[in-house]
Amino acid sequence: MLNKTGYMNTTITEPIAEEPELEEPRLLPGDFAIWFFIFAELLVFGIAFISYAVVRIQNVDMFNQYQLTLNRELGAANTLLLITASYFVVRAIHAIRLDNVKGCIRWLYASLGCGAGFLLLKSVEYNDKFSEGINLGTNTFYMFYLSLTMFHFLHVILGMIILFAVAIKAQRGGYSAQDHIGIETGASYWHMVDLVWIILFPLVYIIR
Amino acid sequence: MKATALNKLYNIHSIWLTMMVLTLTTYAMGKLEYSGMAVMLFLLSSATVKAGMVIRDFMGLRGVSLLWRVIMYGWLLVVCVSIAIAYIISI
Repeated sequence: MLNKTGYMNTTITEPIAEEPELEEPRLLPGDFAIWFFIFAELLVFGIAFISYAVVRIQNVDMFNQYQLTLNRELGAANTLLLITASYFVVRAIHAIRLDNVKGCIRWLYASLGCGAGFLLLKSVEYNDKFSEGINLGTNTFYMFYLSLTMFHFLHVILGMIILFAVAIKAQRGGYSAQDHIGIETGASYWHMVDLVWIILFPLVYIIR
Repeated sequence: MKATALNKLYNIHSIWLTMMVLTLTTYAMGKLEYSGMAVMLFLLSSATVKAGMVIRDFMGLRGVSLLWRVIMYGWLLVVCVSIAIAYIISI
């Protein structure tokens, strides 16, 4: 069931829970170095999330009041887009493991489409806020809202650049079932971007 | 091992669908402006489950070395528990 990279050689429809217990741990997907980068990014976001929650203790009324001004519909739509983008990347990896290069490229571009949708909706949201004169100095809540979401926005752009580079290399025949570590590396970073937003959305837009 | 009906249902498609449903539930609770400790704990738990699914099934960390699983799930747990404590203090 395991290939040379220690990853599952399963079809997309095969139940994940069916796989046998492994005697030795599998290797991390992708380039090992990316995992240090991912962990560093998660630490930064984690500290920012905890800071938001701690600062909120002294400003509960303000945070609750201005949280209601955020566009929850766009926030939820963006969450659905990022989760779907991650799902498409998983499909891309499954496709390349089956040596289905065309399928892999198709799923990668589908994921990029979701990423572009995220950037578009976020830009609409920012445009609304900026046109109302809201900026980092408006109040503490907006300082957190803008800095957290903009920092994440930049990560989405970087993730899309990485996925696009991976898709271009795939189009040039750079990946196969035996050699696709680059796709796994890009996918791991993209999933980190999704992971962070999954916490950010309820924290900033919903929980009160 | 013969797969059970539950195992057959647990695949990448059902994981994606579960995450979509949990997100829509989170949105609905926000739209209805529900608040309070139980709601906060439910929403944080929902986010933790979704994030756990991303780590385990999307990132593919199931079965990797214990150290990396502790690092990734540990990050998730520390962040979510810290947020929960901060919110409990403020309620």
